[in-house]
Amino acid sequence: MKKAFVAALLIITAIPLLIGVAALPPHGETTAPVHTHISARYLMRGAEEAGADNIVTGVLLNYRGLDTAGEVTVIFTALVAGLAVLITRRKEPGAKADSAARGDVPAPPPVSPVVSFVVQLLAPFIALFAVYVILNGHVTPGGGFQGGAILGALFIALTIVLGEGRTRSLMPRLALPWMQGAALISFVVVGVLGAGLTGYFLGFPAEASLHLVRELMMLVLEAGIGLGGAAIFATLFLQMEAE
Amino acid sequence: MISTADIRDATTVVLAAFGALFFLVGTIGLLRLPDFYARTHAATKCDTVGAGSLLIALAVFNGLDASTGKIIALAGLVLLSSPTTGHALARAAHRTGLAPWHAEKGRTP
Repeated sequence: MKKAFVAALLIITAIPLLIGVAALPPHGETTAPVHTHISARYLMRGAEEAGADNIVTGVLLNYRGLDTAGEVTVIFTALVAGLAVLITRRKEPGAKADSAARGDVPAPPPVSPVVSFVVQLLAPFIALFAVYVILNGHVTPGGGFQGGAILGALFIALTIVLGEGRTRSLMPRLALPWMQGAALISFVVVGVLGAGLTGYFLGFPAEASLHLVRELMMLVLEAGIGLGGAAIFATLFLQMEAE
Repeated sequence: MISTADIRDATTVVLAAFGALFFLVGTIGLLRLPDFYARTHAATKCDTVGAGSLLIALAVFNGLDASTGKIIALAGLVLLSSPTTGHALARAAHRTGLAPWHAEKGRTP
């Protein structure tokens, strides 16, 4: 019964998707609407309309901001799903805590002093680079997603080198949920601000006099995506390490 | 007459050719050496000396400006990170008990 239901659901979902795919213009056709209308508009007027010299950022945050808001929702949902699976497995009887107490699990090998030194030496520079990538995304390639990945990787490297105890303090218990949801929260804040200014959710004011407000809105989005991404990386890593 | 530009170009060519040679040797080593340790050794030498000397060649060619500063920073990063990576890889392999290859065991690479 359950299987039949799942199969029916899959088929019902698949049919409109397949019809949609069949109706798409042939791949690579130069007269397809995407090449004659949208891309041309983005390339011609993206910098002035979206307020970002980097067209990718302009498209991501401004033209298709709602789409990106959906994306960060997906990432956040993935974190929730991952944590749900990991935490349940952790509570199973005979988990690692028991076996570690009996001494079955060998202690992790000590961290190489060379690796430890180099990671600690480079850490401030990597952190600076991550912030640069996040904040400079509207001018040069980069942005919140990329910078957040760098920041998350830095956290993971530091956790391996310094141990969980010392890096946990970077993610205080009270602030952690806000950090994990930072991307979503920033989209809601900027979206509502945009609604107040332009009448549309996630609308960006186009007036030249408000260009600073527009840039500030983009920076808030980038910072939120970066911080949120890094916190999600770090949380998943810590949870998996605890396995 | 040998001008400053000629000296700069010659230095660039020598450094870049040296880097390319290291990459070639390192790639051959990565493909042909017998075991993990030797291959790690070959691969990380490429990244350190090869990329390092190519980057310094670029810095010499570019002259003194902000981009050169970035290139030098990159070279410094490469010189720090590749040997560390090689060390971490080899150490992890050694600690998990991977035995190095010995010719006298009669195994062919």
